Amino acid sequence: MSDTVANIREEVRAWLAEHWDAGQRRAKAGGSIADWLDQVIAAGWAVPSWPAQYWGRGLGKEETGAVIAEFRKVAAPGAGQDRSNITANSIMQFGSEELKQRMIPEFLRGATMCLLYSEPGAGSDLASVRTRADLEGDVYVINGQKVWTSGARTAQYGLLLARTDWDVPKHQGLSFFIMPMKQPGIEVRPINQITGDSHFNEVFIDNAEVSATNRVGAEGDGWKVMQTALAVERLIMGEGASERRQGSFKDNSLSLIDMARQTGKLTDPVMRQEIAQAVAWRQLNTLNLVRAKEEMAQGASSPIMSLGKLAMSRILHGDARVVTKLLGAASMLDGVSDPRAEDVNYRTANAYMNSIGGGTDQIQRNIIGERVLGLPREAEADRNIPFRESRAVTG
Amino acid sequence: MTMLDAEERGAIREGFARLLAEKCTEDDVRRTMATQDGHDHALWQAISDMGVPALLIAPDHGGIGAGPVELEALMEEAGAALLGGPLLSSAVLAAGMIGETSDDDAKARLLPGIASGKSLAAVAFTGDAGTWTAQGVEVSARQQGDVWLLDGTASFVLSANVADILLVVARTPEGLGCFEVSPKAAGVAASLLETWDRTLRLSRIIFSGAAATPLAGIDEAAVERVLDLGRVALAGEQAGAARRIFDITVEYLKTRVQFGRQIGGFQALKHMAADLLIEVESATSAARAAARSLASGAPDAQALINLAAFACADAFSQVAATAIQMHGGIAFTWEHPAHLYLRRARADAQIFGQSEMYRDRYLTAMENAA
Repeated sequence: MSDTVANIREEVRAWLAEHWDAGQRRAKAGGSIADWLDQVIAAGWAVPSWPAQYWGRGLGKEETGAVIAEFRKVAAPGAGQDRSNITANSIMQFGSEELKQRMIPEFLRGATMCLLYSEPGAGSDLASVRTRADLEGDVYVINGQKVWTSGARTAQYGLLLARTDWDVPKHQGLSFFIMPMKQPGIEVRPINQITGDSHFNEVFIDNAEVSATNRVGAEGDGWKVMQTALAVERLIMGEGASERRQGSFKDNSLSLIDMARQTGKLTDPVMRQEIAQAVAWRQLNTLNLVRAKEEMAQGASSPIMSLGKLAMSRILHGDARVVTKLLGAASMLDGVSDPRAEDVNYRTANAYMNSIGGGTDQIQRNIIGERVLGLPREAEADRNIPFRESRAVTG
Repeated sequence: MTMLDAEERGAIREGFARLLAEKCTEDDVRRTMATQDGHDHALWQAISDMGVPALLIAPDHGGIGAGPVELEALMEEAGAALLGGPLLSSAVLAAGMIGETSDDDAKARLLPGIASGKSLAAVAFTGDAGTWTAQGVEVSARQQGDVWLLDGTASFVLSANVADILLVVARTPEGLGCFEVSPKAAGVAASLLETWDRTLRLSRIIFSGAAATPLAGIDEAAVERVLDLGRVALAGEQAGAARRIFDITVEYLKTRVQFGRQIGGFQALKHMAADLLIEVESATSAARAAARSLASGAPDAQALINLAAFACADAFSQVAATAIQMHGGIAFTWEHPAHLYLRRARADAQIFGQSEMYRDRYLTAMENAA
């Protein structure tokens, strides 16, 4: 560990000791979570790697990692948003100076957002979105339909990918907006998922409005801006965000072993092989992430970060398969008849959240093949024609 | 064991990689595997001049005093180049075994020669069952007055054909022990086995009352520690070899043209490559984590070594096998290197025991950690 890392670690520790009550998990000064986040922002811990004029401290990767680690140790929220806050990162990288000053603090202190990307006709082929944004005076008028939007009912803002130009190829006619969600013309309807949950929504947009000053990046730069936002999201998923409710690596391996013990199958040699493999996949992914972080802390780029989400799919589907075998016939049951089965069945269905959401495993394999391994791009019939003439429009 | 600092470690690894790139090319590997003893003397001299056989040996005995972390890094390079010969048998297993003895005279007598590369030692762990477990030992030692005599069979002995010292794990009335035997001693009959991986040399040795010197202080636990060192070395070899054949395959996907396109543009192949990359990176992470945990004596060392043992074996096997399919016809030819990696992968997946055993042991380690 270098001196600067050790120094930062000390400084963060001291700062947290002064401002954060770790036992009660709240700010010593009291107040709301937003008040706490204000303190974190003012101290420069919210976005430590950003320059001082933008709420940061200009720290390196390793130092930033140390800041995050110290906050995590005492369960204090708000640090390291330069890695995790999708909106703040997009605005910081592509937004106008006015937009940065106006909106970044708001998002750092916890403004909620939802992602308005996918559409019924634009899933894997996200660049073919047909929601339109037409500039009328100082505002864009938005019309269209979005889908797979989590948090749409409560979000204050939506990160919107919409088409501003129909006469250029599909990737070039898109723009990226931060749209207020609480306005007439936006209707949110929950989607009933295969798990029985309603985590996602459809969003119907009928003549909603966004100020032109809320556009992130230039007109036509929407695809590039969204790619950045998406990269942050996939990173978070690869670290297992979608299964946080299931606990850590250790908890999960224990849960497989425990269930095998409970069901009397821990001594079954065939089941032992399958349990070990399921546990191994999870531990290998953890080891990969640790190594990637070490390599990146030393300034090297790591291809591993692109692999996490795909690896997580086999972990989650694999776990579900093994636990189903452990339960045997009881896995047919559900609800009050067998709470363990309810959990297993939920896991089985919910694993698709990771292997489809945020880019299917198949799209992830394309991305790994093309961006990490440098293989040729997929052929796209509509890549170089005006979007108006593509089959997304002509049918 | 000590760890070198990052800079020294990097320098040794780079030097070794350069040496292999120059003197252990595919042509060299093919030339050496066609020889009777499968041992490239000039290459071994160069490797010895670099100090590689001295890596694990204490400075008191002419060694460098490095440990599993440095070993694993070099083995990644060795695996990538498909290096054969006595590195694993002499510099890892034998050096490790002699390092375990409480007999300082034996150390002083044997280790300097192994460190310099002038002396080559091989370790016999298992019988015809080939399990590399205590149950698999089929040599027994009996004491007759002041001398010990060995009887029984050892098999799958790595590089015994070029060894001038044999270290034989044998059953004694007090449990497992290890004995030093001259390959030329009366009652030692070694035969070279034909192997599918032609870069490999395995011998079967029958002992009939062969006179042997016990290595004091070696028990079953010590043998396991030596095998752990071997497992980490092998995991590194597998990770490095998997990465090299993967890189060769990805390169081919970019150059081979069919249907007017580079074949890497087809999802059927692109997706296979993406899946294999997970295997390659996971094998590397597992091998390095195992090396670190062994070096530091971490509480999770047993879990991580067992994990690396099956994860690296399975990854290399899968990558090497799939690489042939992804190449198509060209890799079905003797002249293409892909089959050399498959041969090594299938051998490496057996040496020290199969994945199924290690998966079971890994789960046991995870149960114990609970």
